[in-house]
Amino acid sequence: MRSSPAFHYHTFLEESIMRKALCLLMVFILFLLTGCTGNPDNQGGKSGPVTITIWHDKEAAVIAVLEEAVKALEPEIVVMFEKKAGMTESLKLVGNDKNAAPDMYFFAHDKIGVYAEMGILTPVTDLLGDDALAGYLPLTVKGGTYKGKIYQVPLYFETLLFMYNKKYMAEKDIPATTEQLYAYMQRKTKYGHYGFVEQHSTPYYAAGWIHGFGGSLITDDGVPCLDCAEVKSALTYHKKFVEYMPGETEYATVNTLFTEGMAHATIAGPWFVPTVRAVGIDVGIAPMPIVDETGLPLAPYSGIQGLHVLKVQAQQKKNVILQVLRTLMRPEVSVKLAKVSGCAPAVESCYTLDEVTNDSLIMAMRHTAETAIPMPNIPEMDVMWTVTGNLLTNVNMSGQDVDSAAKAAQKKVLELIEAMK
Amino acid sequence: MKKLVALLLCLMMLPILPAVAETAEMLVVYASVPADWSWPCVWAWSSDGTNAFASWPGDLMEPDPANEGWYYIYLPSGMESVIINANDGSVQTDEIKIDKQSAWIKVAEDKTFSVFFEALTTGEAPAYTERFTVYAQVDATWENPGIWAWEDPSGKNAFAAWPGRAMKPNENGWFSAKVPAWCNCIIINANAGSVQTIDIKDLDPADLWITVNADASFEITYDDPTALKAADITVFAKVPEDWENPCLWAWEHPSGTNVFVSWPGEALTAGEDGWYAITVPGWINSVIINAKEGSIQTADLRVDAGKDLYVTVVSAEDAAVTYEKPVE
Repeated sequence: MRSSPAFHYHTFLEESIMRKALCLLMVFILFLLTGCTGNPDNQGGKSGPVTITIWHDKEAAVIAVLEEAVKALEPEIVVMFEKKAGMTESLKLVGNDKNAAPDMYFFAHDKIGVYAEMGILTPVTDLLGDDALAGYLPLTVKGGTYKGKIYQVPLYFETLLFMYNKKYMAEKDIPATTEQLYAYMQRKTKYGHYGFVEQHSTPYYAAGWIHGFGGSLITDDGVPCLDCAEVKSALTYHKKFVEYMPGETEYATVNTLFTEGMAHATIAGPWFVPTVRAVGIDVGIAPMPIVDETGLPLAPYSGIQGLHVLKVQAQQKKNVILQVLRTLMRPEVSVKLAKVSGCAPAVESCYTLDEVTNDSLIMAMRHTAETAIPMPNIPEMDVMWTVTGNLLTNVNMSGQDVDSAAKAAQKKVLELIEAMK
Repeated sequence: MKKLVALLLCLMMLPILPAVAETAEMLVVYASVPADWSWPCVWAWSSDGTNAFASWPGDLMEPDPANEGWYYIYLPSGMESVIINANDGSVQTDEIKIDKQSAWIKVAEDKTFSVFFEALTTGEAPAYTERFTVYAQVDATWENPGIWAWEDPSGKNAFAAWPGRAMKPNENGWFSAKVPAWCNCIIINANAGSVQTIDIKDLDPADLWITVNADASFEITYDDPTALKAADITVFAKVPEDWENPCLWAWEHPSGTNVFVSWPGEALTAGEDGWYAITVPGWINSVIINAKEGSIQTADLRVDAGKDLYVTVVSAEDAAVTYEKPVE
């Protein structure tokens, strides 16, 4: 760089002004630097509170519990809960976009495989440490685990439950086994009433029967099992129960049959209980019947609701995200969430508290958690629902032979999985 | 020491005492009515507008076997006023204030009344029990039908002596009687008990309708057969060109009763105007249009029962229902 000749004519006064300006500039830079280093998780160098955004799909009462809990972190950390329509698709679109992705999302565990394969999630144990979920129910940890890594901090879970109308079903009639249930259905399904109804041709509900025969829709490593012996045995056995249920058993029909007093018993989620109680039905909850042939109980799927951390944000905001997670992992938050959601806490220690042990609904879910199966979280599961639904319709409603229907369904699902890859 | 224990026990009971009072959720109203007041009923309400029963004339009173000439009924404890009526509501008293208390009401021939808040009957009122209604339609040769009810297997009877409770005749030709909810068996009888059905066992404690033939055979349903039934309707459907062999699947919600035996239902008939059509019972209120042997379908479509309908299918996810033929 060439010096300007004019430079040599600076006066002392000019040099003094320059020095002062330089000092001011340095002070200003120092001020900015101080602002930056004061909070390692700042956003783009701005000072002040750090905002954490959590997407969710939950009702207001659930979010109110979380909002109350994270107030303790203010003013340094402000947590924004944002209800997101079409959240699962949005995460696919922007999950890797630092400017658009949330810091976390609050949702069921079953999309973890898809997002983990996309590389948009951080294992929560990377933030919290390997033993962080040691006090959680095994079911809830298993639900959030994909390929050996845990991607979810579970908050609460739900399982399907065996419910009965106490007006109709006496305690002595509560079926301990599926054959007892079948005998009850034979005896009480008459004159327009049903002994038992369920969504017999919906995979989420049929899965309980399949698990009761030791089968599964898909293996943990993504191999579909629709033509496995256990699945076929379950479908064959279950069909005799279907004969004592109405032909159409979609969600609204089954629920209405129960709430209008036309069905004695059903299998439904805990979310159904407030509706049932609101219409004045004295509802009882009982353990799932045991399949006589296998000695295994009907084992429904379980949905585990919890927090997931987006990788793209975790790198920059690690400490703040950690504080938010630890705040929301406190057992008292889990208990409050269980109460407002009608679900069950994920934290084992909650089950020593009176307010939990006195709640028959929560305890029934806790009991079922011993045998319930977390919904598979592998990506292949996405195509299983439709194909399994068609299989159930073909067997239960169209009268197709189980063997040929299962074989066709297996072929179809393998094609779809291959196409997905 | 004993005094201390007694004091402690008293203190422990203190929070319980009001709870006992608060859980007394029912009050009892007794009435004696003129001889020509048949099948007395009670209509009851509270000052906030809450009615005890869904519709006039309210609920039927039970005769008290221990106090001849007296009828009784249990009401929710918040009830403040009642009207005693009879003969299907064609005769009635004016409003009678009971102020949330059990009461004994004497109704005179001129419909005036006297109210007492101290028992005019002897002994305790029969214990409160939920009841359900049995409706019976009997052959013309079966006169003055009655009902006998009991619990199996205990053998406990609902009524003191055979042939049991007389059934109330109703304007629609059906007779009715209330039965305690703990009963699970009934017999319908008539002609002073000289004709009867067999034991009808293992019933649910829910309103039921029984049609009895001259030979004592019968049919039962928990679904009110007197409810209006809709006439047949026509379902019209317009589907995309590649939806081959479209079919209709139809059912009634919430009973789940299907029109067709198996999926995918019945084929629609192609019309000249591009609309497919099929006639189905008017009671359906849910349909699915499907094609290609059920491999493609719409979502469940809720429709109004008893109306012809037009389903325009754009795709599996996009179908619209109208009750007038869409303008094209």
